[in-house]
Amino acid sequence: MASVGSEDGDIGFQIAPMVDVVFVLMLFFMASAGSQVAERELNINLPGSKTPSGAQTAVPPTPIMVDISADGQVSMNGKTYGSPSDKEIASLREFFTTAIVSGNSDPEKQDPVIIHPDPDAHHERIMDVLNAAGASGVKNLTFN
Amino acid sequence: MHHKSKGKAARAATRNPAEEDPEFQIAPMIDILLVLLVFFMSISSTEVLQSNHTIALAVAKEAKQPKKNPGQIIVNVSWVAINNMGSIDVDDQKYAVASDLIPKLQDELLKNPMTRVLVRVDRAARWSFEREVLKAVGDAGITNVTFSVVDKAVPGQ
Repeated sequence: MASVGSEDGDIGFQIAPMVDVVFVLMLFFMASAGSQVAERELNINLPGSKTPSGAQTAVPPTPIMVDISADGQVSMNGKTYGSPSDKEIASLREFFTTAIVSGNSDPEKQDPVIIHPDPDAHHERIMDVLNAAGASGVKNLTFN
Repeated sequence: MHHKSKGKAARAATRNPAEEDPEFQIAPMIDILLVLLVFFMSISSTEVLQSNHTIALAVAKEAKQPKKNPGQIIVNVSWVAINNMGSIDVDDQKYAVASDLIPKLQDELLKNPMTRVLVRVDRAARWSFEREVLKAVGDAGITNVTFSVVDKAVPGQ
């Protein structure tokens, strides 16, 4: 056993337990690093905020109202998108991409998307819709 | 040629003596272990925010990386499912009603006109309560609002 110290009965430095302790610590930090959850952000502008340049557009934009019911059902103009348990809402993303974003990466030219949740709608479902809008490239997003 | 090959064989014998395995070197192994330990310690984040760790944030995989913002106010909105009531917490100070936040938000906006509000809302919170918080933020004159989410579900939440 490797040890450093005098021969008069002192314990001395034990390297094998030190290696064991270092292994355990490393395993702990490997496990905690893998299960780390990072916080991210979803940005919106509240109603009443100015447009970036304030310039008048020739054609007024048509706001698109997205309704979220208390049970989490997302709908627009009477048409439902996904099921209440569907987090990705692929059909909504497709709608955003084709109807709003395609050819209109400039937020001033995009039709504004207004989210109108039911008073009893859960925050998580609202974030699912915001996430879908953000992933599709919608920049002009606000709440009713 | 013959004396050259004899010399070569002698040099090979000294370089690679027969039947001698390399010894286990513990010092380099400990060095590597310590480097790995420091690496994993550093990537295990120990950053402490002005945040309430009891809030279960919503999951949004495509959300953006957080940006550093010097004028940021973090508003924590907790939710108790048992009695369907929410509470608001800013800088360790609790607020029963969202409108009580307005003076504090206005003070912060006066100090820094670029102030933004980072809202950390429990995933089970109802829109009716959250709307009051957003209304208070809007009434204070701040329109740059960001929701805090996580990139994956937290085990146990």
